[in-house]
Amino acid sequence: MRCGRAQKSLIAALDGELTPRRRQALDRHLAGCAACRGELATTERVLAALDARPAEAPVSVALEQATLRRVRLAADGDTAVAWWRRLPLPALVVATAVLVLAVGIVRRTGPVPPPAPSGDRVARTFVPKPTARPAPQAGARRSPPPSEPPAELAAAPDKFMNLPILRNLEKLEHFEAIQTTTLDDDDTPNG
Amino acid sequence: MSRAVAIAVLALALAAPAAAQWNGRRWQELSPEEQERAWENYQRYQQLPDQRRDMIERRYQRFQTLPPQEQQRLRHNYDTYRGFDPGQRREFTEKYRRWKGRK
Repeated sequence: MRCGRAQKSLIAALDGELTPRRRQALDRHLAGCAACRGELATTERVLAALDARPAEAPVSVALEQATLRRVRLAADGDTAVAWWRRLPLPALVVATAVLVLAVGIVRRTGPVPPPAPSGDRVARTFVPKPTARPAPQAGARRSPPPSEPPAELAAAPDKFMNLPILRNLEKLEHFEAIQTTTLDDDDTPNG
Repeated sequence: MSRAVAIAVLALALAAPAAAQWNGRRWQELSPEEQERAWENYQRYQQLPDQRRDMIERRYQRFQTLPPQEQQRLRHNYDTYRGFDPGQRREFTEKYRRWKGRK
């Protein structure tokens, strides 16, 4: 791995998002590259400092979302604003009922298996939809979970399943606001 | 107002099952793949400094109190975030730094 690629991977590594194979490649590079180790340490310090710093403005997420929604709608014009307001109330109620019913049916019956490719009469086995998580890399060393998990893990497994979300919680809560942040040096309005 | 209520009911009906898939399950109820993911993350967690672990614990407590729709929104945002390529992620991190600096 070269320095450019290593440095592009640093944030993903700090977020715990690299596959074991890429993490090992990065570790090997870092072991022999002081410049990238320095970059990693700096990035880690910046992210840790940002995480540790409380968001001081007491603006609720709901208010922020509502404000952003209004800004977006205003930017998109009236056509975007009114699509659901133009619907008659009975239509909305019926649509809601149908969807709730559909959700109920799907939950009762389980996921619908995908159709087998045409001409293939054998492969009718249900193949689960792949998750967003990348498949394990071939050759990567991974320790399997123990049959008896540690008490902390057994007590709250969802905490650890959701760890990447928890690590990035502030970013994710204010995702839209952050995305609309400009990177211009001077963002004071003219006039 | 009635339309808003109807839409809220619809959103709740759709969001709740997805959120329920994640929360409150015991270890034995997780699939092998989920157990593996939880185990990997647990090992990562153990390597974090105490301060970071405390922060994650506080966030976990808060996360549990969020309504299902909000949890779902965060998951959706996370899916978007993890789909970023390295350049987009750097740009987002820089925007995050700017955004936080303005707070």
